[in-house]
Amino acid sequence: MGSDFYQQSILPYAGIIIKICRAYTHNHADFEDYYQEVCLQIWRSRANFNKQAKWSTWVYKVALNVCLTHLKQHKRGRGRFASDALSELEFDEVKAFDSDEINQLYNAIKHLSEIDRAVILLYLEEKSYAEIAEIIGASSNSIGVRVSRIKERINKIIHQMG
Amino acid sequence: MSKSIEAMWKQGFVDEGELSVPKVNDLYNQKSQNIVDKLQAMFALNIKAIIIGCGVMFIVMTMIGAPLLGGYICLLVSPLIYIAKRELSKSYDLSKGQSSLDYLQNFDLWLKSSIAAYGAYYRVAYPLLYLGMVTQAIMSQAGHKVLALCLTQLPTDYVLFDVPYYLWLVILLVFVVVVRYSEAIYRFDLNVVYGRQFKKLEEIIADMRELKGV
Repeated sequence: MGSDFYQQSILPYAGIIIKICRAYTHNHADFEDYYQEVCLQIWRSRANFNKQAKWSTWVYKVALNVCLTHLKQHKRGRGRFASDALSELEFDEVKAFDSDEINQLYNAIKHLSEIDRAVILLYLEEKSYAEIAEIIGASSNSIGVRVSRIKERINKIIHQMG
Repeated sequence: MSKSIEAMWKQGFVDEGELSVPKVNDLYNQKSQNIVDKLQAMFALNIKAIIIGCGVMFIVMTMIGAPLLGGYICLLVSPLIYIAKRELSKSYDLSKGQSSLDYLQNFDLWLKSSIAAYGAYYRVAYPLLYLGMVTQAIMSQAGHKVLALCLTQLPTDYVLFDVPYYLWLVILLVFVVVVRYSEAIYRFDLNVVYGRQFKKLEEIIADMRELKGV
């Protein structure tokens, strides 16, 4: 992957990649690893992208797949990444999220199951139920109910955290 | 809680430009080093396992009344231990002062040359091991009983060292197969143990090459 691909096809979506990676990691080192792995997998799987679909949807899919896959591996004690070809690209310094509210929200999101985290992240990113269903591979009928249940749970967790 | 989670999310990321992507300096080197470290650790463990296995084999063989075969196997394995240690120390000497891609490519070259060295050893060792086992079988009490039974069931005048000619033919046939496939057996064995790591190493190198447009 050259800098061009990164600049044109990944960087515009870096925000969502960061948001997703952050929901699945508990420390900065893992967060950086996940981010890089997502970028790499987007590049690797670019040939599989269906041109009729939206590129952003593809990015969401890959990001979530990478996070879910590596989270499972991490739980099994094999949380190493297959490749690291991106790291010779120079990126900017990472900035911590300053907002206490966001940190609080993320802490609540991390209490959810992996799939629920994906659903709520996509919902907060204003994806339609149909898009969410497509990305996570579920039926769109169930998404609305699921979102309501997740929101309730998040509010409860935030309330408990004070 | 006064604010909805939607509002918290929106306001928290008002300016997406504020979301800076991670700096991943040195991650490449770290991860390249990870796979090399892992393979080196596996090779070092393998050497220990061979040494321990050799000792255990000698004890077991002695206990079942075949100390000569046990000693013979230990003798056969000693060059392997020497080769393994020599090859592993070569890998530690690979320069780390180059770029990660160069380092990994050199490591890969070392790996291939090591596998070739092991392959040459196994081409000789497996047939010799087989001959040792055959010799032990012929010399053992159980072997004598089997040979006597063979000669009773299928009598023949063509006997060498109490072994009928048709058994020599079988022994020879198996020997030819062992000679022919000894390296293939070693490579199969190698892939079972290290296959996943080797594939990972190849993937990393392929990625890096593509990245650099090599």
